[in-house]
Amino acid sequence: MKRLLKILAPALLLGFAVAAAAHHSAVQFDFTKQVPIKGKVTHFRAINPHMQLTLLVSDKKGPHEIVFEGHSTNNMYRNGYRKGMISEGDMITVNVAPLKDGSDGGYVVSAETAKGEFFGARSTRAIDAAKAQAIAEGQSRTLKASALVE
Amino acid sequence: MTNVSVLRTVGLSIAAACAVVAAVAVQAATPPDFTGVWTNAGAPGLGGATRAAPAALPLKPEAKARIDAYAALVTPTGETPGGWCLGTGMPGSMLGSGGYPMEIVQRPDQITIIYEAHGETRHVYFGARNAAQADRVPGRNGYSSGRWEGDTLVVETDNVVDQVDQRWAHSDEAKIVERYHLEPKPDEQGRRVLVADMVMTDPKFYTAPVIAQKKWAQVPNGRLLPYECAEENWTKRLEELAKKAGVPAP
Repeated sequence: MKRLLKILAPALLLGFAVAAAAHHSAVQFDFTKQVPIKGKVTHFRAINPHMQLTLLVSDKKGPHEIVFEGHSTNNMYRNGYRKGMISEGDMITVNVAPLKDGSDGGYVVSAETAKGEFFGARSTRAIDAAKAQAIAEGQSRTLKASALVE
Repeated sequence: MTNVSVLRTVGLSIAAACAVVAAVAVQAATPPDFTGVWTNAGAPGLGGATRAAPAALPLKPEAKARIDAYAALVTPTGETPGGWCLGTGMPGSMLGSGGYPMEIVQRPDQITIIYEAHGETRHVYFGARNAAQADRVPGRNGYSSGRWEGDTLVVETDNVVDQVDQRWAHSDEAKIVERYHLEPKPDEQGRRVLVADMVMTDPKFYTAPVIAQKKWAQVPNGRLLPYECAEENWTKRLEELAKKAGVPAP
């Protein structure tokens, strides 16, 4: 059963994503993290104020659907999305800021399509948080540079 | 030097001085042109007011109570005006409009400002273009009248409607004064920077003026994107009607 996520937003200072602040609060999402989730698209609408996406995923809970929210059409276009990139039935990977309460869902920051196309931005906050964690753990990792788009 | 050559020299000097004075006068009389598309200046992703909103706006107790009641009402479902395709309204629109860009179209008698988010549009009228007070229709963005003070654009806005559903809540008695000027030097990316200083006074809501600033950077050859928002709700309504009628949705 689909569960609609209705989000109320305070100011959102994520790279290009600040436009979302005009509509919803990002307080429910942890934008210091990015979690990749792969699944089959069962619902997708590139609309304002927020994109709608539902993925059929298969994890330790078995097959089930997860509902995501994402940026406005305008911000998606500014970050490389074009009409036709995502269709129902596609297997895609989305990078999401997870819900702080740990429940299924999240805010789509970027997506990699079935054809290998990419749109969105990699959050510098997530990268900075990951770097700090790596330093604290004494690990050395090479992190890809973010590609912030206006 | 002969008398004629002296006179010629003096005459040329006077003419040159007059030309300089005239040029200065023309420059002062011609305001800067703000026409173009503008986006958030400063650090990437810094939407909204450049200066953070004050920790506590100088709200009167009764105004705070109304704002708190509104927040309690919508917080459980997370609904916002933007989620229902409503624009922010002044002064939220001029303080950043959610981080989306804006476009200014400047004429001597009118400046039109279009904010990409929700396509919010403001008209700033000058001189004889202004409507009589009785003819000004109240709205979220109110009625704006402009004038130039040297190179500074001064915009005064009134006739706003009562709003508790934006960060910069206000009553219908709010008066908003904006002052726009260009920074003398471009930013590190070579872009012109437009500074908007805002002062809002509202005897019903605030005990003191509310002050904020927004900086915009010009986007060369910029274009606003269309912001369609109500399509989804209309589509759903058609589907409801069709289902009720037992016919396919159009």
